[in-house]
Amino acid sequence: MPRSILYILLRRLRSPLIALVTVYAIFIIGFVLIPGKGSGGGMTFFDAFYFVSYTGTTIGFGELSKGGVGFSPGQRAWTLVAIYATVITWLYGIGSLLTVLQDPAFKRILKHSKFSRKVKELREPFYIICGYGDTGRQLVNALSEENIRSVVIDVDEDKINELEVEDLLLPSLGLAADASRSEVLLDAGIKREWCKGVIALATNESTNLSVAITVQLLNPKARFIARADSVEMQNNILSFGANEVINPFETFADSLSLLIHSPSLYTLFEWLSGVPGDTLAEPFFIKKGHWILSGYGRFGQAVYNHLSEIGVQVRVIEPDIEKRDVPSSSVLGYATEAATLKKAGIEQAVGIIAGTNNDPDNLSTLMTATEINPNIFTIARQTQQQNAEIFKAANLDLVLQRGGAVAHKIFALIRTPLLGDFLRIAIRFKEHKANILVSRIIGIAQDETPKLWEFVIDKETTPALYNKVSIQSVVIADLLRSPRDRSRTLNALPLFLNRGKGNVMLPEDDRQLEVGDRILMCGSEDADCLMQWTTKNMNVLSYLMTGKTESSSHVAKWFNKTFGKSA
Amino acid sequence: MNSEKVVFAFFIVLAMTLNFGFFTGGMDNVAYHSEYELFAAIVVNLIATILKFGDRTHLGAVFLATSLVAIIQLLVAAIIWGLSEHVFETVGEEWLPIVVSLSGGAFLANITSVVLLVAETLSVRR
Repeated sequence: MPRSILYILLRRLRSPLIALVTVYAIFIIGFVLIPGKGSGGGMTFFDAFYFVSYTGTTIGFGELSKGGVGFSPGQRAWTLVAIYATVITWLYGIGSLLTVLQDPAFKRILKHSKFSRKVKELREPFYIICGYGDTGRQLVNALSEENIRSVVIDVDEDKINELEVEDLLLPSLGLAADASRSEVLLDAGIKREWCKGVIALATNESTNLSVAITVQLLNPKARFIARADSVEMQNNILSFGANEVINPFETFADSLSLLIHSPSLYTLFEWLSGVPGDTLAEPFFIKKGHWILSGYGRFGQAVYNHLSEIGVQVRVIEPDIEKRDVPSSSVLGYATEAATLKKAGIEQAVGIIAGTNNDPDNLSTLMTATEINPNIFTIARQTQQQNAEIFKAANLDLVLQRGGAVAHKIFALIRTPLLGDFLRIAIRFKEHKANILVSRIIGIAQDETPKLWEFVIDKETTPALYNKVSIQSVVIADLLRSPRDRSRTLNALPLFLNRGKGNVMLPEDDRQLEVGDRILMCGSEDADCLMQWTTKNMNVLSYLMTGKTESSSHVAKWFNKTFGKSA
Repeated sequence: MNSEKVVFAFFIVLAMTLNFGFFTGGMDNVAYHSEYELFAAIVVNLIATILKFGDRTHLGAVFLATSLVAIIQLLVAAIIWGLSEHVFETVGEEWLPIVVSLSGGAFLANITSVVLLVAETLSVRR
C-alpha cells in the first residue's frame, strides 16, 4: 500500500487549517461591515483580505487609509481583536506543523517511503540482507568491494544509523524495520527482477524462518541463504527451499575437524572462500596426538562431536560442575589456571582449542598453555569483533571468528553458487588427492588468493560459446587457450562442471561442452577477463579453436568464399 | 447520531446552498449576485475541503476531488472579481458573466458532493 506523506500531513493539520480559515473569514467579514471614517462605508473584500493577511502574519504595514484618513474607532477596536486572534492562530498552525515534522513516527514513515522509492529506482542486481550484526557488516563490506549493491533491513535503528555512516565503496540502502513482516520485504524489493537473493542473518531465529517463508512464496527464484544456530532450525529453514543454511557452530567445528584431519583440504577451503587479493596462507602442518578443548557450550559440543567422529582424542576442560552431558574424561576447573591445564595433559597435547564465549579467558588460557608447552598448536575462538587487534597481537596459530567465518562463506556462495556443491564433494577427497589439487592451485595462483568465477553456456551471457557449442564440439582445452596467443594456456583451472543433475569434479581438458553447462573456474584476475572475451566474442573463439582469424563482415566473408582462402 | 457526520453534511450542504444563492439571477445585473454570498461560499467550501483531508476511503477521495474542483472554481471567480474591480478598474460589469458561470460550474461540483453524501447515507441503512 503506497503511503502518501502529503495525505498524513494534511490529516494531522486539519484542525489548524480549519481554525485559520474560520478566523480569517470572521475578521474579513468584520472589516467589510464596520464603517470607516469619512463618507465611505467599510472596506471592500479585497482590502479586508489584504489587511488581515499582513496583520495576521505580523508584517504590519499600518492602517489602510482611504483618501488620507485613518481608521475609525470601530475599525481600530476590531483590529485589536484581529491582531491577537490571527497571530495566535498562526502560531498554533506553525506549531502543529513543526510537531508533525518532528514526530518520530512521521520521520520513520518519511524514511521508509524514501527507502522504498530508492529501492524502486535501483537498476542493478542487489541482495537483501536481513540483520546487520557482525556478520551482516562484514558481508555488506565484502559485497560493496565487489560492486554488488545490498539492501539492509534491521529492527534496531542504531544499527541502520551505523550503516549510514559506514564508508562503503558502494553505498547500501538501509531500513529500520522488522524483516519478518512481508510488506517490509516487499518494500525492500523482494519481487523485483533485480533482486538476486535474500540473506537472513537476524539474531532472532523465528525472523529468519518467516523470511524463508516469504521468499519461498513471493520470489522462489531468488537465492536464499540463512543462518541458523541449531540443527532443528537448520532443517526447518531448509524445508522452505533455502539454497544454503549456515550454522556458525557447525561451520567452525567442520573446518576444525577438517584442519586436524586433512590440513591441505582445510587450506584449499580457506583459499576458495577467501577474498581475492589476500596473500595465500601457508598450509598448516599438524602432528597426530591428543587435543585439549576448554569450554563445553554450544561451540565446544559441536567441536567435540566432530573431532570424536574422526577419531581424534579430545580432553574437555569445563568449570561448570552442573553442566550435563560432559564427556567422562573431562577435567573440572578453570582452563586459565596452569594446574588445570597440566591435569588435562598439556605437556603431551598437540593442540589446544580455547572455545569459551569469553574472549579474555580464551586468550589467557592460550598464553598459559604456550608457556607450559611452547610447541602446542593454539586455536582461539573470538566472539567480539572489537577484540580483533588483541587476537592478532597474541600471535596464535588460528583464530576462529563467528561473524567472519559466516560472512566469508556467504560471500563465496553469492559470488559463485557452484562453490557450495564443489566444496560438499571436495570434503570427501582423500588426503593425497587434496594435495594434488592444492599444488595445482598453487601453480596457477602464485602468491595471491585465486579468483573464482563461473559461467553458464547460454544465449545471453556467453553468446559466442553458445553458438559454437550448438554446431560443433568444443572441449575445455579450447577455453583455456589464451586469446592473445593460442599456443599459450591461461592461468586458470576448471574446478567443477554442472550439467543438469550430473556433476564433474575437475573436468579434464578433452571434456566436451554442452549447452546449459555451468562451469566453475579458478585462476588469476587476468585469466577471468580473457576468458570472458573468449565466451562472448565469436571471432576470438574461432581463432582459439582453429588458429585462423575469421573475417567478421559479410563482404569479407563473401570475398573469402568466392576467391579462395587467402585470408 | 455521529456528530462528525453532522458537521460534515452540514458543511457540504451549506456549501451547495450558498453557492446556489450566489449563482441564481441574470448574467447582466450585479445586484442579483451578492459578494457576501460569494465570500461565504468560498469559506464554507474551504472548510468542507479541509474536513475531507486524510480520508483514505475511495468515497473520501472522490469527496476531496469534488470539493477541490468547487473551491478552485470559486477562488478563480473571486480573483477575477477582485482584480477587475480594484486592479484593472474595469468600467461596467463585463466580468460578471465569467464570475457567475464559474460559480455555476462550482455549483455542479457541489451537487455531485451532495449526491455522493446522500448515496453514502442510503447505503448505511442505520
